[in-house]
Amino acid sequence: MKLIKELYHYREMMNSLIRRDLRGRYKGSVLGFLWTFLNPLLQLGVYTLVFSVIMRNGISDYYMFLFVALVPWMFFSTVLTGGAACILNQKNMVQKIYFPRQVLPIAFVTSQFINMLFSFLIIFFVLLISGKGFNFIALYYLPFIMVVEYTLALGITMMMSAITVYLRDMEYILGIVAMAWQFLSPVIYSIEQVPEELRGIFMANPMASILTAYRDVLYYKQIPEIGTLSNAFFMSMVLVLLGWYVFAKLSKRFAEEL
Amino acid sequence: MNEAIVADSVKKSYRLYIDKGQTLKEKVLFKKRRKYEEREVLKGISFAVAKGEAVGLIGENGCGKSTTLKLLTRILYPDSGKITVQGRVSSLIELGAGFHPDMTGKENIYINASIFGLSRKEIDERLQEIIDFSELGEYINNPVRTYSSGMYMRLAFSVAVNVSADVLLIDEILGVGDIYFQEKCFQKIQSIKETGTTIVIVSHSLSQIESICERSIWISEGLIRMQGEPSDVHKNYIEYMREKHEM
Repeated sequence: MKLIKELYHYREMMNSLIRRDLRGRYKGSVLGFLWTFLNPLLQLGVYTLVFSVIMRNGISDYYMFLFVALVPWMFFSTVLTGGAACILNQKNMVQKIYFPRQVLPIAFVTSQFINMLFSFLIIFFVLLISGKGFNFIALYYLPFIMVVEYTLALGITMMMSAITVYLRDMEYILGIVAMAWQFLSPVIYSIEQVPEELRGIFMANPMASILTAYRDVLYYKQIPEIGTLSNAFFMSMVLVLLGWYVFAKLSKRFAEEL
Repeated sequence: MNEAIVADSVKKSYRLYIDKGQTLKEKVLFKKRRKYEEREVLKGISFAVAKGEAVGLIGENGCGKSTTLKLLTRILYPDSGKITVQGRVSSLIELGAGFHPDMTGKENIYINASIFGLSRKEIDERLQEIIDFSELGEYINNPVRTYSSGMYMRLAFSVAVNVSADVLLIDEILGVGDIYFQEKCFQKIQSIKETGTTIVIVSHSLSQIESICERSIWISEGLIRMQGEPSDVHKNYIEYMREKHEM
């Protein structure tokens, strides 16, 4: 509780870290901020080519089916692979000055989250011009799904960034984990395509529920099932609490271990 | 509560790794190599600093005075014992934390001050004062990478002393800039002290401590050897050092 109050006190620090990150990200590149939009679009192109032109799958408007899950997935996977180093990269600051260390993972995840929100602008744009349209009642669920995904991402980043300080391999291990995780989540396929008997284990993956919920709202234009939502919510809460706990434990020796 | 800082039998050891493996392979394969020595830097020190008091920490190199200061700022945590510090802490330990070379002096003021826990509004209020104190004038709008090291330190110092902390921790930094600026810093610290800020200074300059502090704490080999009136403590300390090095 005291920590939360203190973090509120340090909100300006988070703000300036986020701003520094968003502004500095594409510094020196010719297309600059456009990369925020280009990156998901190019990935979308490649996946659509492979999975609907070459390997035909019979899903109508496959590009849209894919896109509404790909953007949230890209947020998650960037956080998973990049977030591990977020303490390590600020080594100088951590060794020199006190601030609640939680600021660093929170700022990192938030800046990636804002990036995802920008990408959502394209999703809305494409939904609009393709004539697919929206279900506005279902759309009310979207912020909730986003918050759940943010919570999950934060929990994992806190845990992994703290572990990475002690075990530098984590960064590389997570690169492989992210790849495997993508294929085990319903990004390029739908949950219905998973064999019935495996679905139970499959749904133990919190991203499966989250991506299904996104797809329900944006692609199928329907209100997500309450089971899907509560499943995602519950697992994210567990992970964020666990991450918070691990981080608090490990952060005491950060300055010495770095 | 009249105490701003209370340290109660604080102990701190460092792990000195002889050969430290940081990757999984090294950790699994070379388990034996992962030896470390525990070196106890602080062997149980207790002291209290009253609100508004200024205290100097003295002692020879490696005696644990900088470690004590780092424990007070909460960069490090004690292995046992307890430290409580009341109020906002500003530290002049490492100046210029979070400075970004490509950003202007002004932008860096915002970043640096925010790391001390100031809100945007508080920074806005202090901005002019910080710029004036640094005497950077027009240069404040240039990127920090174009600064000379003196300008850099002046800016960093100006931010740190304008945080309006309740507790100010200072480690050997009164050597910033030229003689004129040093004098100015010194006077600034005096005036901060007059506003009721608690100050802890680590320094090898005994005369500086004598002119700012009411009390000196002499740390020797991780224990408090003596504390009291600076001039008394310093006399004993100088004698001790003289004897030790004449041997």
